[in-house]
Amino acid sequence: MAFINLKSKVIQVKIVYYGPGRGGKTTSLEYIYRKFQQRIRAEMVTIKTHGDRTLFFDFLPFDIGLINGYNIKIQLYTVPGQVKYNATRRLVLRGVDGIVFVADAMAVRREKNIQSLRNLHENLASYKKNLAALPLVIQYNKIDLVEQGIPILDVELLELDLNRDLKAPYFAASALKGINVVASLKKIISMSVASVKNEFL
Amino acid sequence: MDHPSKFDQLNSELESRLDDLFREDGPVPAAPPPPKRAPTQPLEELKKTVLSIDWEITPEALAGLQEQIGLLKVTFQRDKVISMFLQILGALGQYIKTSRSYVHPSTFTVLNSVFARLDEIVSSPTMPEERKRKLLQVEMAGYQELRDKIMKRRKPIRVAPVEPPAPAPPAAASAAGVTPEVLAQAVEELKRFIRAELTRFKDELRGASRRG
Repeated sequence: MAFINLKSKVIQVKIVYYGPGRGGKTTSLEYIYRKFQQRIRAEMVTIKTHGDRTLFFDFLPFDIGLINGYNIKIQLYTVPGQVKYNATRRLVLRGVDGIVFVADAMAVRREKNIQSLRNLHENLASYKKNLAALPLVIQYNKIDLVEQGIPILDVELLELDLNRDLKAPYFAASALKGINVVASLKKIISMSVASVKNEFL
Repeated sequence: MDHPSKFDQLNSELESRLDDLFREDGPVPAAPPPPKRAPTQPLEELKKTVLSIDWEITPEALAGLQEQIGLLKVTFQRDKVISMFLQILGALGQYIKTSRSYVHPSTFTVLNSVFARLDEIVSSPTMPEERKRKLLQVEMAGYQELRDKIMKRRKPIRVAPVEPPAPAPPAAASAAGVTPEVLAQAVEELKRFIRAELTRFKDELRGASRRG
């Protein structure tokens, strides 16, 4: 759930980049950070600790500024993609306001995308949340690999696999080259802020 | 709830602010390069690499691991126990590299444990040799246990054949992954090395006591 301070008129929106391991979640955040660091005046934090209580994630907070009297603060998170870190993924999803699902367009990763989306459904269910009711953008990543002759799934097929029922806005993207990374980000921020505003204000 | 027109106003203000913030035209302000500083601890870089691999298996992290191990092998070439630890880390890195997403989940536990013990040894220069060797033996046992798990997982499931077996692929075709035989061979090599080192160590102790 978004953090809202009506007295000081602050809305804090949490957006999580979710998806299979090595799909481009961290690369997406790194692109945003690298390209707009000076404009958004943000610091990207990568927490990689090891111990009994494992907690790993990337975190990029920034302010959008005053919009219609509200100070809008955005927090971008990534989750670890590896299957074994499900507890961390679930923890990062707590209080999520919007999700960018970064699917890997490589043909060999088709099953991993489906598994990861299923895992997202399950983890949200543990918070009694329904993905269909949450702001969601799907980023079909690595489309640029087709230039290197690597087999890539058609967007139509990816849509069929992942977005047939959800009908979420989607973008064919390349986190490495920055293609549609910003479009996905802008879309999810707009959707999440609108949803928060609708629900709480 | 705000009036709808007020809500529309928020949306349009937000869109316009986002367009300003994330404008992709024009020159992109260059991000300052990360500050380069000399590692204060000999294993600092290796630690980062091990944690990176644990986080996400990337070709860069795996290449970094082998590079770091190579550098440390030179630095610690006189220390046989540390060299052994580095060999185990190298073998694990090689296995992760060839198995990638099919890597056995316990591999990361072993990798982190081996690194943690190595870190403990390197950061305690006064640690007695016997203690170091004991730690090495524990990690060797963990490594061997992992090897057994991998071999068990790779055992073919016996089912009634429906077709005559296809001819065996040429030897080069099976080089894509680390086979149990390769792992077993690596463990045997490590064992031989430890035995030789222990013998040498015992001889040294005997010689020292005679001289004393």
